[in-house]
Amino acid sequence: MSAIDSMSSVRPDLIEKVTGRAEYVTDLTVPGMLHGFVVRSPAIHARIASIDSSVARAMDGVVDVLIGEDVASFGNWGVVLKDRPIIATDRVRYVGEPVAVVIAETIDIAENAAELVDVGYDDLPRATTIQEALAEEAPLIHERHENLEDFYFKGGARPTQNSNIFHTYRNNVGDVDAAEAAAAYIHEDRFTFPAISHFAMEPHAVIADFQRDSLTVWAGAQTPTAVQKVLSRLFGLQLAKVRVIVPFVGGGFGGKASVKIEPLVAAASWKVQRPVRIAQSIAESMLTCRRLGADITIRTAVDANGRILAKSAKLLLDGGAYSDTGSAVATKSANRVIGPYAVPNLRLEASAVYTNTVPGAAFRSIGGPQAVWAKESHMDNVAAAIGMDPSEFRLRNLASRGERIRPDLRALDMDMSELMGRVTQSFASEVKASNRQARGLAVAATDPANTPIGNAIVRLKIDGSILVSVSSIEVGQGAHATMARIASQTLKQPASAVTVLRTDTAVAPYDWGTGASRSTVVVGLSVENAALDAADQILEMVADVWELPRENLSLVEGGVTTGSEVLTFHQIFHRTLGVDSGEVIGRGAITPRSKKGALAESPLFWETSAGLAEIIVDEDTGEIHVTRYASAADVGRVINRVAAEGQDEGAAIMGLGHALYEVLEFEDGQPVNATPIDYSIPRISDVPPVFDTILVENGDGPGPGGAKGMGEGAILPVAPAIANALFSAYGIRITELPMTPEKVWRALQKRN
Amino acid sequence: MTHVLPISFSLNGQAIAIDVPAHTLLIDLIRDRLGLKGTKRSCDMEVCGACTVLLDGEPISSCTTLAVDVDQREVTTIEGVTPPEGLSRIQKAFVLHGGLQCGFCTPGFIMAVTALLKATPHPTDEEIRHYLHGNLCRCTGYTKIFEAVRSLAAEQVSEDAA
Repeated sequence: MSAIDSMSSVRPDLIEKVTGRAEYVTDLTVPGMLHGFVVRSPAIHARIASIDSSVARAMDGVVDVLIGEDVASFGNWGVVLKDRPIIATDRVRYVGEPVAVVIAETIDIAENAAELVDVGYDDLPRATTIQEALAEEAPLIHERHENLEDFYFKGGARPTQNSNIFHTYRNNVGDVDAAEAAAAYIHEDRFTFPAISHFAMEPHAVIADFQRDSLTVWAGAQTPTAVQKVLSRLFGLQLAKVRVIVPFVGGGFGGKASVKIEPLVAAASWKVQRPVRIAQSIAESMLTCRRLGADITIRTAVDANGRILAKSAKLLLDGGAYSDTGSAVATKSANRVIGPYAVPNLRLEASAVYTNTVPGAAFRSIGGPQAVWAKESHMDNVAAAIGMDPSEFRLRNLASRGERIRPDLRALDMDMSELMGRVTQSFASEVKASNRQARGLAVAATDPANTPIGNAIVRLKIDGSILVSVSSIEVGQGAHATMARIASQTLKQPASAVTVLRTDTAVAPYDWGTGASRSTVVVGLSVENAALDAADQILEMVADVWELPRENLSLVEGGVTTGSEVLTFHQIFHRTLGVDSGEVIGRGAITPRSKKGALAESPLFWETSAGLAEIIVDEDTGEIHVTRYASAADVGRVINRVAAEGQDEGAAIMGLGHALYEVLEFEDGQPVNATPIDYSIPRISDVPPVFDTILVENGDGPGPGGAKGMGEGAILPVAPAIANALFSAYGIRITELPMTPEKVWRALQKRN
Repeated sequence: MTHVLPISFSLNGQAIAIDVPAHTLLIDLIRDRLGLKGTKRSCDMEVCGACTVLLDGEPISSCTTLAVDVDQREVTTIEGVTPPEGLSRIQKAFVLHGGLQCGFCTPGFIMAVTALLKATPHPTDEEIRHYLHGNLCRCTGYTKIFEAVRSLAAEQVSEDAA
């Protein structure tokens, strides 16, 4: 446990949260607010034959019922492909798709009336798995694909018309065929990865207030400016007339990134011209989005010395019924299947396909857990096949600091051997005897999609208080406290002087969004620049009014020192403006051109991690107990130790859930466990009794103080590390997550 | 017609007399009618612990408890364990140890730990795990929650020794 100075240094948001005073969307009330309840499709893929909402409408307290034909003229929306209607119009593509919204005076009335909306469905042929969707006779889930280039991410999707493939990404380096022809050994494996639910404790909840030509939305949204843009385009409103307010957000993990139910709730409000709230249950949120499942074939060619000559990977991602950001997930999975190894010849292909299931979405390290599960399990298989220790095999093939794992990606900014050493050391320090055999290692190097576009406003007021305004949301990661710390340190004022405004697009400047581990670096640098701009202005004031050389002036707590005396902010503003009032407004921006273009190359930094697991398996039941786990990540520089450790601990335990428990199951398209009772996430009793979180700091990141982004890396190695432990000690290789007792037991039986 | 019943109970030490429809859930009474928003609604199925309140000192899920069932009993919510100024020692431990991130599960955890420490002032690690098994957190990975609770157990021991 790291040292804690005092209550004064803690994050102010934590105080609000432990007392229950922190406000989330469902804690807000807008005057005149109505409640919406969503009627969802029970059909997997069907034409909507009829909707009769007359009985529901006639119920006391029901104000209106929104259906597809009300809003069909607004057309589709999307952030990469424009494939999504506001609400199902003529057709449903997955179980859970919204087909009507009952809008009523109370939630109870809306929910009861929802049962009275009568919808007729005519089933259509369906494609509920990757294989079904790619079959020759597969029904088309979307008849045509409309790409929105550069809308949300740089670039767009590369769909295959007249197919269910909505994106394919290819990247080839060198000559894989020639390398394979010269190889001493070639090994191929296939792994699958399931759909996984985000399971944020706060389900999706939105309040929308549509008033003729303006729209205000309160949403637990990770990317408020994306919500603003989509709503603006969809409803034909000026960006300045669309206001997105984000109070505290009760967990996101990517499930509240891009745009989710905001258009639906906005449409409900548009219909009744009153504020409408839709607060989903966790079960409904499980039908709203989920991590993309994957089917991954991976092949490695090595020479006689165990050096990797070539790697090929074909990754098929199950994108569900609507694409959302699934195309980016696929592209990233292809990038994340490479490193941290130096591989001279690469053949990478990733495709995202539509299926008649819950739409896929971004989820902590997009495409990362899928790719790393396959590549790191595969590494141990290759090592075993050539009779080499898996750690030795990795060390022999690691790309070193400064080396590029692919020509179009920034050179590696860290040493993976250091992380491997740190996790191994962590185990060595424990004197307790343990089963050395049942250990498994995995490593990862991922390229966060951290678009270098950010803005911040820092206002220094006459009393020395500081107001910071950014679009980053506070989702528990401590972003607002980090921004406060950067502003306070740059302006040399006490932390208690800084207030960070809750996110509101009406006052906060544009920023891409909160995700991809980018806020500390991109928004942090924006805040630093804004604070420097504010400092410049106040120093310039003193130089001008007091007629002093600028180079003698510097900021101190409460004011500016001239070298011989301290002028308080009060004195400075008073004398300059003639009244005892005023402020300076600092503006800071980060663009791809900032720092002479140094931030433009992708990725801005590498997000890297190593994980070492020790397990014991109950061979009678197949149950895996992770007795010990060490996680190491290179984070450049820690800004808040407790928060940073908490990020990686949370990521690792989420990875443990992916490894052992979690799968959002579909049987022929029908979700079978989409409720919090049937779907298991880790509990406190599942945490490994010995659990070490190591943060490597070399001060070499592009962010303030040499920080890199973090919080996504530690999820990556967990599943393959456990699988590799299982392989080395028990001789079984699980190729399909999660590693449930049944799968492990069956594999043990087959081995015997 | 909805059957409405008069109930009287103590909420955070304050006497409440109110008419409630028979089907009203305690969480809705607390949040929507009495305006105490600290108690969080999450799973609606008594599996996540976010809506935990104390009923006569015992932790219960307010999302699956009928309001009429608290008649003549004592209900304590997060607002009831928060001092007028500052934090309770449990809240302070969670803040100092970083036992929370998004905070949505936190009021439920604070209530559960309040009950745990009342029943078992010096819980062992195993007792902590067992008692908090019903409270889900998706952010922290529980490690820092565990450290926070463990520090409270230890702190009590030293206070007793003093």
